[in-house]
Amino acid sequence: MVQVILEGVSKSFGTYKALTEISVHIQERQFVALIGPSGCGKSTLLRTIAGLDDVSGGRIHIGDTIVNDLPPRLRDVAMVFQSYALYPHMNVEQNLTYALRVQGRPKTERRRAAEEVAVVLGLEQLLDRFPRELSGGQRQRVAMGRAIIRQPKVFLFDEPLSNLDAELRVRMRAEIRALHDRLKATSIYVTHDQVEAMTMADHIVVLKAGHVEQQGHPLDLYDRPANRFVAGFIGSPSMNFLPGFIGKDGQSVALDGIDVQFPLPGRAEPGIPVDVGIRPEHLTITDSTGSNVLPIQIFLVEATGAQMIVHGRTARGDIVTVVVSGRTPLFHGDRLGLEVSALEATPGAPPALHVFDSKDGRAVAR
Amino acid sequence: MFRAIKCYAPSILAAMIVCIYLFPIYWMYATSFKGPVELMLYPPTLWPTDPVSNHWDVFNGRNMPRYFWNSIVITAGTLAITVTFGTGSAYALSLKRNLWVEVALFSILLMQALPPSLMVTPLFVMFNYVGLLYTPRLAVILALASKSLPFYIIICRSAFLGIPKDLREAALVDGSSNIGVFFWIVIPLARNAILVAATLLGIQAMGDYVYSASFIYDQKLQPLTLGLANYVGVSKTDWAGIMTYSSIMVTPILLTFMLLQRRLVSGLTAGALK
Repeated sequence: MVQVILEGVSKSFGTYKALTEISVHIQERQFVALIGPSGCGKSTLLRTIAGLDDVSGGRIHIGDTIVNDLPPRLRDVAMVFQSYALYPHMNVEQNLTYALRVQGRPKTERRRAAEEVAVVLGLEQLLDRFPRELSGGQRQRVAMGRAIIRQPKVFLFDEPLSNLDAELRVRMRAEIRALHDRLKATSIYVTHDQVEAMTMADHIVVLKAGHVEQQGHPLDLYDRPANRFVAGFIGSPSMNFLPGFIGKDGQSVALDGIDVQFPLPGRAEPGIPVDVGIRPEHLTITDSTGSNVLPIQIFLVEATGAQMIVHGRTARGDIVTVVVSGRTPLFHGDRLGLEVSALEATPGAPPALHVFDSKDGRAVAR
Repeated sequence: MFRAIKCYAPSILAAMIVCIYLFPIYWMYATSFKGPVELMLYPPTLWPTDPVSNHWDVFNGRNMPRYFWNSIVITAGTLAITVTFGTGSAYALSLKRNLWVEVALFSILLMQALPPSLMVTPLFVMFNYVGLLYTPRLAVILALASKSLPFYIIICRSAFLGIPKDLREAALVDGSSNIGVFFWIVIPLARNAILVAATLLGIQAMGDYVYSASFIYDQKLQPLTLGLANYVGVSKTDWAGIMTYSSIMVTPILLTFMLLQRRLVSGLTAGALK
């Protein structure tokens, strides 16, 4: 079983704590994404798994071994760097087979392995080229090939797609995931792009300032964010937040400064100030009026073709973003009413909104 | 017409400056082919009118093969010590950055600042004390290596600093040991800097006079530079001989430089990242 277990992993540089008590359980063949804003420690965590950085506390298991004190070469992990880190003085074949050469494998075997990997990644014509003669996408493939040729226990990816253009990035995303499935590998993937994480991963770990904010299945994180940070980080365009407070009955929430109330999916402590989070895709335009309709005035309309992203302000001045599918004639200055769609299609289902305690940002009334 | 001048002016200017720089070398070669009468002619001739060649006589008669051999021994020895110890030290100093590294670098720079004519006396006393003057060529090699190492370390260290950390780490993850990374990744990538530094220091060692003159009394062990000095007599100086000798001495150095210069100028790391 090649599972990777992080037990209370901590890392500090002097007095600065880069990672605090991180515990993650990665199953064999799982594709795990570590995401978070820059400086959250996700790359540091990956480097501690690779053995490039020491941990200050906790334990890292790869398979059945505790690898804390093992140098990178004894951990049997392969890493794809953000910069690709191709050896500039070696051609593509030598780059691909460097690890095999270090292991002392014979030349014919290395050649054969390089050819096999080249076929998988479409690099057959490039084996004699040097990195400087390759395009960005080709370099990225060589970097991938260098990792898969070794058939390691674990693949580590450090933002491997961030230097590619948007189109290539989307294509490589699918390719990496397909490759992961074909190789039956265990992969850990660092990214700051939540779309990459959502589309590729089986399990997402959201990090912030060296702490795990939440981890779980991508859709769980989307449906049930544990706190305001995760709610705002996952999903695009990101969630709208409106200040409000819990009603006296503990089962409804009212917005500050506007006469709007929504029923809650659960119970919460009455009267506490909260942030009401509503995803742009869960808002719909409505003609009706009532206490559950949020009025806004449009100040920007972005049309992408398939949908329109409408930005408006409430009477209090809070910004609300709505995703409208199809094409509706909406213009700057228009006033409209917004309704929160239900979580499920059953009648009487609670609206799809999230409520976070304003003080600590934790989700309430779930 | 004016635009043409504007376009070519920098090249012409550059060519003129190069001519000024190269004129002594030209003058040395030209003079080495002049006869004794033409040599003293005033105004001097720019091109030898009646070329005579004493090169073969000077080469054999002056024992130049022996001097060449001694120079090569001294140069090779100096380079061997400098490159062996300097490369490793430079790599160590490039990996970490803390107060002690700063102190080490500062003292290295300080050593570089001391001129040979100042160092020669204490070195002489020291070498005499430990008996190194019985192997005078080794004494010169050690003295030159101590003079060369600082320069070499500083050049190599900055080359090592220019190698992206990702490359070393990629090799570590790929299964290399730290020593493997040094020999298979770092040295190949810093090859040009090592070559440049070694070439310059080799030329410097080849041209050393102060240490050789101070440590080597036995004429059989003296290098080319001392052989040249033998031409300068008390009452008369054999200018034709000096020029002939110099041209023979300089030619192999110039040839080496020309052969190496293509490798000295190239951007190897392009395309490693992104």
